[in-house]
Amino acid sequence: MSLKLDSRELEGVTIVNCQGRIVFGEESNNLRESLKRILAASRKIVLNLSGVSYIDSGGLGTLVGVYSSARSAGADIKLTGLGQRLRDVLQITKLVTVFEVYDNEQQAIAAFQRGAA
Amino acid sequence: MPFSSSGSASDSGGSSSGLFPSLIFVQGNEQRTISLDHSPYAVGRKVDKDLVIADPRVSRDHALIVSENGAFYVVDQGSKHGTFVNGERVQRQKLERNDRLEFGVRDIAYVIFHPLHMQTSNTAREFLSQISGIHISTETTDLEKLTLFLEAARKLNTIGVLDEIFVTLLDATLKLTRAERGYVFMKSEDDSLRLAAGRNSKGEPLLDDKTISHSILDEALKSNSEFVITDTSQSLDLAGRQSIVAYDLRTVICIPLRKPQVQATRDVQGSGPSGSGEVMGALYVDSRFASRDISSVSNEILQAIAIEAASLIENARLVQTEEAARRYQQELSIAAGIQQRLMAVTIPEVPFARLAGRNLSCKEIGGDFFDAVNTEDGLAVVLADVSGKGVSAALLASTLQGMIYSQLTARMPLVDIVSAVNRFFTHKHIGEKYATVIVARIHPDGELEYVNCGHVPPLLISREGVQRPKHGNLPVGLLKDATYTSDRCRLNAGDRLVLVTDGVTEAENARGDFFEDSRLETVAAKSHTLEDIFTAVADFCSGTPLSDDCTVVDLLYTG
Repeated sequence: MSLKLDSRELEGVTIVNCQGRIVFGEESNNLRESLKRILAASRKIVLNLSGVSYIDSGGLGTLVGVYSSARSAGADIKLTGLGQRLRDVLQITKLVTVFEVYDNEQQAIAAFQRGAA
Repeated sequence: MPFSSSGSASDSGGSSSGLFPSLIFVQGNEQRTISLDHSPYAVGRKVDKDLVIADPRVSRDHALIVSENGAFYVVDQGSKHGTFVNGERVQRQKLERNDRLEFGVRDIAYVIFHPLHMQTSNTAREFLSQISGIHISTETTDLEKLTLFLEAARKLNTIGVLDEIFVTLLDATLKLTRAERGYVFMKSEDDSLRLAAGRNSKGEPLLDDKTISHSILDEALKSNSEFVITDTSQSLDLAGRQSIVAYDLRTVICIPLRKPQVQATRDVQGSGPSGSGEVMGALYVDSRFASRDISSVSNEILQAIAIEAASLIENARLVQTEEAARRYQQELSIAAGIQQRLMAVTIPEVPFARLAGRNLSCKEIGGDFFDAVNTEDGLAVVLADVSGKGVSAALLASTLQGMIYSQLTARMPLVDIVSAVNRFFTHKHIGEKYATVIVARIHPDGELEYVNCGHVPPLLISREGVQRPKHGNLPVGLLKDATYTSDRCRLNAGDRLVLVTDGVTEAENARGDFFEDSRLETVAAKSHTLEDIFTAVADFCSGTPLSDDCTVVDLLYTG
């Protein structure tokens, strides 16, 4: 499998680092199951995708699926560290209008804290 | 030197006169009877040997079988991998009837020395000859019969009829144990035992297992033994059990059938399978008080049955699984055929436009499709790309195509069509599958309306150059409350609309570069044929296989 995930807590927000490829199959299953576990404990998640080299259509589907179920459970996932290619994909699919995308982790965390305040 | 022999019968194979001891040589599925009619009798890999075994583990001059004073000896000739009698390595060993000899190679090739003879029934013999072509002597030992049976059944295996194997197994076991009735039970998915076959000693089928002792069966399965012989007359606590009393059961033999363990090196004569193999089922035979006693069946035979029956059944199961996979493959190719016919596009002829489209699937069945429908509102084209690949993508593509086709025919507004499709797919909870879709309709006067749902932007090619409109929506099937808008523009005669799936822009070359929009725009602007676009992609990839379906649709407005 070529997707590694690790998470850490920062100012009440769970930062999840993704390293590798988000593609349909084992990788997308891993992403879904890991985020499901994290969502059980945390409602504020920042997904750092700076280590993601490639995301295919299946992976994108998983990302949206996880995002939707988080929202319906009252949690939120914000994205950061998007490469040019992923930005293009989100632009073409208009998913930029769905996800909240931030340039870096600090901005994403700050957005959570503004929301909470 | 004259050979002495107590055997009087001749082999039906005709190779042995009966005056000489015989050797049964078994190698894989082959077996032959050899008359030991001279001494010394040489065994080895060299072609001039009396018995040539073509296996690298057999030495060239491996061993001799010599006759001395009416007895026979096997003498190893300094072979590298040794000579074995009944599993023990020997230098020189006197041979007894029924001894099993192995030369260097273990298990797959061996020799039985001068098997003991005894009466066997016609039916078993006929059956075995029928299915295996092996000639069976009227006088064969139990073990020899079993060997023959197993050889035969292995051949039968290739036909893969599990039920027949059960029956064959039962018939042979009943013959070998002289039990009255026999049953095979197999574990079903819920772990309960299901009756797979039953036979009595007359060869009649038994369809009902109510009159057997299930308690003994269950105990046998829980035990780690290779087989359990229960003599109810010897055991007071058993004598009271219902089935035993009711059906007058005297002796019950249960042989758990355990999945053969690949890593276990099997000692032919010895220990048999370890008790840890997963239980697949059980072989059960019994006899009643009124009938003969079967408690004295030799352990050797039961052991052999326990080992071989399990591997037989396991093999047969594998064959059946293979057969199922083959059928599935067949179904799949039928499905692929249907899908291809569904996806076949009849391009409508209209006076104001010319349409061409081409799809290049990287798998047998793909998730890309395009379609065209002409109505009074104009000529409509659809290009869609379902996420993922293979059967699931194809299934969704077919549904999507059907929905869009019927709504276009009904002249529904484009925005309503994609909204309905999105509602349908999100409502059905098809998981994380979705589709990027672009639907366009061109009116005879040149008015173009299109809805892009997550697709690569279309190319609008006019005299002024190539335009890539920014308009776009979410893909369909991802979010249930997504809303959609369309975009409009006017085409002049000679203007073109080129639609591509991302398989084109993301076609990769060996260096990992993508074909990209820029290359697409360049070739599309220069050329008026689809072939040129596909050629440009192929040249760019220069041999690197496509990882995604490629579809291109070219609509020329002629005015």
